[in-house]
Amino acid sequence: MNKAYPVALAILVIFLAAFPCIGPEVYYLSFMFSVFMYVILASSWNFIGGYGGYLSFGHAAFFGIGAFATAKLATMFQLPPMLTMLASIPAGGIAALIALIVGYPCLKIRGPYFSVVTLCFAFVVDLAVKNIEFLGGAEGLWLKFMDIPEKTSRTIMYEVMLLLMVVTLAVSWFLGRSRFGTGLTAIRSDEEVAETMAIPTAKLKIQAFVLSAFFPGVAGGLFAYYLGYIHADAVFSINISILIVLMAMFGGGGTWLGPIIGAVILTVVNEGLSTFAQAEIARIIYGALFIVVTIFMPNGIMDFFRKKGGKT
Amino acid sequence: MDAVLIIQSLISGIMMGMVYALLGVGFSLTWGVMHVIHISHAAFGLIGAYLSYSLLQYCGVDPVVSAAVSVPLLFITACGLYQLLIRPITRAQNIVMASMILTFGLAIILENIMALIWKADPRVLTPTYSSGALIAGPFYFQYPHLVGFGLSVLGITAIYLFLKKTYTGMAVRAAWQQPEAAQLYGVNLYRISMITFALAVSTAGAGGISLALLNSFEPHSHNLWLIYLFLVVIVGGVGNVIGTALAGLIIGVITGLSMAFLPFQWVNLVTFGLLMIFLIFRPHGLIKQEGM
Repeated sequence: MNKAYPVALAILVIFLAAFPCIGPEVYYLSFMFSVFMYVILASSWNFIGGYGGYLSFGHAAFFGIGAFATAKLATMFQLPPMLTMLASIPAGGIAALIALIVGYPCLKIRGPYFSVVTLCFAFVVDLAVKNIEFLGGAEGLWLKFMDIPEKTSRTIMYEVMLLLMVVTLAVSWFLGRSRFGTGLTAIRSDEEVAETMAIPTAKLKIQAFVLSAFFPGVAGGLFAYYLGYIHADAVFSINISILIVLMAMFGGGGTWLGPIIGAVILTVVNEGLSTFAQAEIARIIYGALFIVVTIFMPNGIMDFFRKKGGKT
Repeated sequence: MDAVLIIQSLISGIMMGMVYALLGVGFSLTWGVMHVIHISHAAFGLIGAYLSYSLLQYCGVDPVVSAAVSVPLLFITACGLYQLLIRPITRAQNIVMASMILTFGLAIILENIMALIWKADPRVLTPTYSSGALIAGPFYFQYPHLVGFGLSVLGITAIYLFLKKTYTGMAVRAAWQQPEAAQLYGVNLYRISMITFALAVSTAGAGGISLALLNSFEPHSHNLWLIYLFLVVIVGGVGNVIGTALAGLIIGVITGLSMAFLPFQWVNLVTFGLLMIFLIFRPHGLIKQEGM
């Protein structure tokens, strides 16, 4: 990869950061906010799922844990709005801690079995939150809004999410070319061989899993604050978990660019379809997209274009 | 706690578990033989349920009779789908992943087609005998539940006999154990894959009808069904018919007991929690894999 990429990306980031200055409608800010959020989710899933080949189907659990932890911290300590946003960082830490506890036994299981354990984990967390009164139970939790115009608050949220996305992507990029990332790729290719080559597989896996839980946790905290009200259904939905996996694999797992492409395309298509077509028809087209892409690009979009580029 | 109540809920749990086992057998076979994780499996079950709903509502056909219509219909449809969708992706580096993405798309399409045709409100199968019940001493069994249970036991037995006794069934087992060796002995892997896939989809249809006799259903119910499928198949061991049936029983016992002792909203939590622990200790299922 040549040096033009980072420069182009830096320009793109500056452009995105300046975007609110041209005074777009609040709708576009909210839309971009959700694009950034999904890029964060898909890219951080990619640490363990793409590089390591451990397909976690429960990543919405960490997103939701971050959201509920932030809301709970804010109400317990009566935090002012600005500090609430900062509270999403310790909330991400809580998500990472839970990932450490859960990951230790779960990462010993391989292949589809790991996917199913994580799926069960997401269900357990979802049902537990709904049944625990302390966490709002079935009613959910409310957060305090900022006392400023909607547009200003949305702009602040936009910039904060953008910042988090840049941090996540930077980590993802460095991971791709570090010893750590190489070790994870080796685990994906063949875990037994990696182990005989003295790669500390257990340690690498748990580190990647914890790291990939931290960023969704923080993003969940910001999302909770953005909504102002959170309910278990909004953040723990199994659909979010599946969508994260699909976005990353759709673009091409195991590369740092793949999840970004997947997340952007799927979010834009989903949003575009739901504005222009009847709900059911929109979903049918959305489903057909998965089929067409898998048949023509069975190894993800990235792989398809890389091969094209190699041939010409 | 009332002993009669406990046994009653245990029995209804077991009936439910058997129905999930019938739904799961096909899922387990496609996963084991073809390495295809068929996310839209439960959606096909739902199609079976809706077909029998319509046949019952407009033509007065009994669900058991309509199973005889919709199962072959699904078999043929699935053959076509295999040629059209599944066969092209067998070239992928990671078949498991590619098949999951593809069939996830298929599940979304099926769900929304069902929502367009039958609307999104919950439906119940009400055959003529739906209000009747078999009363045996202190116990009470609704006829539709008994029919659904009977249908699923029948379905699982049929699949088991097919795999054990028929020549094609043996070829399916051979393709599962040693694909290369099976090919050397003249087994056409594509044809076997197609038969496995079509058989799986048609048993899903039968399972869907059985489940519809026990529960209400709506276009998005297949998501929850799918979770139970995963559980039944993983606990039973992938590709293992007897294991799947046994897993259905076990999950039935667990849900039955937790329904008797716990408030309703904790039932799923306990089920999934126990299964998570189970998976951590026995990730490859209950029974050691040796043949089927």
